[in-house]
Amino acid sequence: MSYAVLACNGVDKAEGALAREVGLQVADATGGDVVCPVLLNRAPARYEKTLARDALIVVDGCGTRCASKLAAGVGVKPKQKVLVSGLVKASGEELEASLRLGPDEMALAKSIVADIVAALGASGTQAAPAVAWDAPTDFFVVVFDKFEFRIPKQGYRFSENDTWVRAMGNRARVGISDYLQQQLTDILYFDPPELGTLVEQFGELGEVESSKAIFEIIAPVSGAVVAVNEAVVEASPELVNADPYGEGWLVEVELSAWAEESELLLDGPAYRDTVGPKAAEY
Amino acid sequence: MSENTFMGVAREKIPWAPVIDYEKCDFCMECDEFCPHRVFERRDGDVKLVVANPNNCVVFCRACAKTCGPDAITFPDKPQTIKLIKDLRNAEGGTT
Repeated sequence: MSYAVLACNGVDKAEGALAREVGLQVADATGGDVVCPVLLNRAPARYEKTLARDALIVVDGCGTRCASKLAAGVGVKPKQKVLVSGLVKASGEELEASLRLGPDEMALAKSIVADIVAALGASGTQAAPAVAWDAPTDFFVVVFDKFEFRIPKQGYRFSENDTWVRAMGNRARVGISDYLQQQLTDILYFDPPELGTLVEQFGELGEVESSKAIFEIIAPVSGAVVAVNEAVVEASPELVNADPYGEGWLVEVELSAWAEESELLLDGPAYRDTVGPKAAEY
Repeated sequence: MSENTFMGVAREKIPWAPVIDYEKCDFCMECDEFCPHRVFERRDGDVKLVVANPNNCVVFCRACAKTCGPDAITFPDKPQTIKLIKDLRNAEGGTT
């Protein structure tokens, strides 16, 4: 596979400068082409062929996410992306305000690059699903304006943050509701949690990103992450829009306290009653 | 009695809303442009943006902070907030 790298151009703040360095090193390590964000913005035709041919790696410097937004603007879904300011925070390092990178920053860049390159080589090696998850067939439909929001009548529980959970035995699948996927519009990317992560109820199970927003997946239940939907992560984030309760599931967890936790969740009818007012307020 | 509840608890009892660090904020307004719930309001003068309607903020949502380039927005501690909500639920359950 050939790669193209679209990184922050790195002249506004230190995180950006680091992102630029990461981008250059990733391009070196993968033999990929570097996409200039300014030129992509000014003259997108320059990169038409590159972006059609290569898998895109996006490196954002800060939360403004210029590189991600540029990719979304030309309709390209990244194969992989990182947000350097988040990685810096997670590393516990503090960056100097300078745009010049010192040895500490270079070391950090190197480790971020190693993670990106390793993730590109990793393949989905998770256990086969232990449970057959049939798709829901019976829905409530909430109509608001020109929108229709579907809610499975049975078998699903919802958090008030518009994530759903479907439990089968000691396993559960988690995703986002039809209402939320329509609010977010086209899902461009799902950044999944790592397998084995232990998440608390209402903790974070990765993030989905649309051209409109980054949305933290709020875990409706606690448990260990045993699978992520590779189809969504690797190839087709649009499944979340097309089939949010079925093929567009996000994460599978091994449940730890379902009986107690399900009491804090809404069933189909109760969630349905929240959707109309939410849509009206929005 | 509030109509606006979260997990059965009156919204105004849950202290969940963004806090702007004005040392860092550059008033780019990305957060305000993103948030559909009118949590922020723009002002004239030096401080051009304030958290005007904290109770409009969706509990546990931190999406505005993720739009913030200078990383000027923080939220309360989530585990503590979850604990508070559970305590309030239990307290209200005990009174009925």
